[in-house]
Amino acid sequence: MSFKPKILGIACNWCTYTGADLAGTTRLHYPQNLRVVRVMCSSRINPSFIFRAFQLGADGVLVGGCHPGDCHYNTGNLYARRRLAVTKKILEFAGLEPGRFRVEWISASEGNKFAEVVEEFTAQIKELGPQQKLKIDELREKA
Amino acid sequence: MTDFKQIENNLKKEAKRLLEAGEVTVVLAYGRGYDEKHSMPFAAKTSADVEKLVFNEYCNFNMARYLMRYPCGTKIAIAAKAADSRAIVQLIQEEKVRREDLIILGIPAYGMKNQKTDEVVDSKTTCGLYNPPLYNILLGEEVHGQPVVSPYEVLAEYEAMDKEARWAFWKKEFDKCIRCYACRKACPMCYCDPCFIDQSKPRWADKAPQSPGNMMYHLTRFHHLAGRCIDCGECSRACPVDIPLYLFHKKVAKECEEMFGQAAGMKLEDKPVLVDFRVEDSDKILE
Repeated sequence: MSFKPKILGIACNWCTYTGADLAGTTRLHYPQNLRVVRVMCSSRINPSFIFRAFQLGADGVLVGGCHPGDCHYNTGNLYARRRLAVTKKILEFAGLEPGRFRVEWISASEGNKFAEVVEEFTAQIKELGPQQKLKIDELREKA
Repeated sequence: MTDFKQIENNLKKEAKRLLEAGEVTVVLAYGRGYDEKHSMPFAAKTSADVEKLVFNEYCNFNMARYLMRYPCGTKIAIAAKAADSRAIVQLIQEEKVRREDLIILGIPAYGMKNQKTDEVVDSKTTCGLYNPPLYNILLGEEVHGQPVVSPYEVLAEYEAMDKEARWAFWKKEFDKCIRCYACRKACPMCYCDPCFIDQSKPRWADKAPQSPGNMMYHLTRFHHLAGRCIDCGECSRACPVDIPLYLFHKKVAKECEEMFGQAAGMKLEDKPVLVDFRVEDSDKILE
């Protein structure tokens, strides 16, 4: 059976989520492995969400936010940028493949970019294979 | 070498003076434990207590941890080595203590001895400083003229590791964890109440001392201390199963310094890096 990655997408309400909506309404095709969770701002994302997602079986995590400078709350994504950069470094030093976590700035008008990013990220995760490192044991046995 | 006897005498002298003059209500320093090697944190409240103060090469605790036990406005004198002084600066930045409430008795030292191994740990390899960055009174002579080593040198070996090997290394280390939370208790920067690990709604991590919960606890803790850890090494010293937590903290501190150009606890006017931002931060940091 071919590997169907589980990817968690955390999208900011104002840009990436609207961008995803646009990708949908313009009938763009992109892989269905992404499960999107909407948050009000990329700075709403607690780094623990990301660690926990990996533990609960995510093969990759994609975070989407507004372009820096375009944040609905003016500065949210600028905080998020620093915070998520640290998250990435931590996952990397712990030994997780750096390609499993990605942050992208996708605006509400970039439906195309959303589809492209999801396509690209899914292909990347497929190449990396199932994420077994952080996954909790009960889930690992089932797989 | 550092003259520990001289520092001890100065410490007693200053503590006595401050307590008798009523300038402070408590002097946070070191007292004798059950033997010379095991000195303890000690709070001197009267001039009679002052005689119980000691300072020797095993006094490696970070007393900044105890500052937050006193209500705001209590005048406190605190003995602080380089790392401890950085911790105090960081706490002042975070508005947990007020500068005007503190009299910092700075202690310059090349390094302290580790109780477990009896080795002198060069202070340059931990927090990177010999002299405290912030103090009111310096209890010894400033230390100069040692070869400069980077505090991050020890990381090279682990950074060069293959990611699978590094994962195996950390997995093995975190599997040892018995979740006693000594690291959290000893850390001068861990003051959240309640700590995320004690919360049950949401329950961030499994509470049993097993692999997934341990991993979650430690990774999140590293994240919470990112840009705040001042590398006193207290977490690793407190750890009963000898997990080298300081390595991970050091790595995160290094990355933060490289990305944001600021080390924790060096200047009073700085802001902790993760509660601050620059519009000109590069997106490259996310790659």
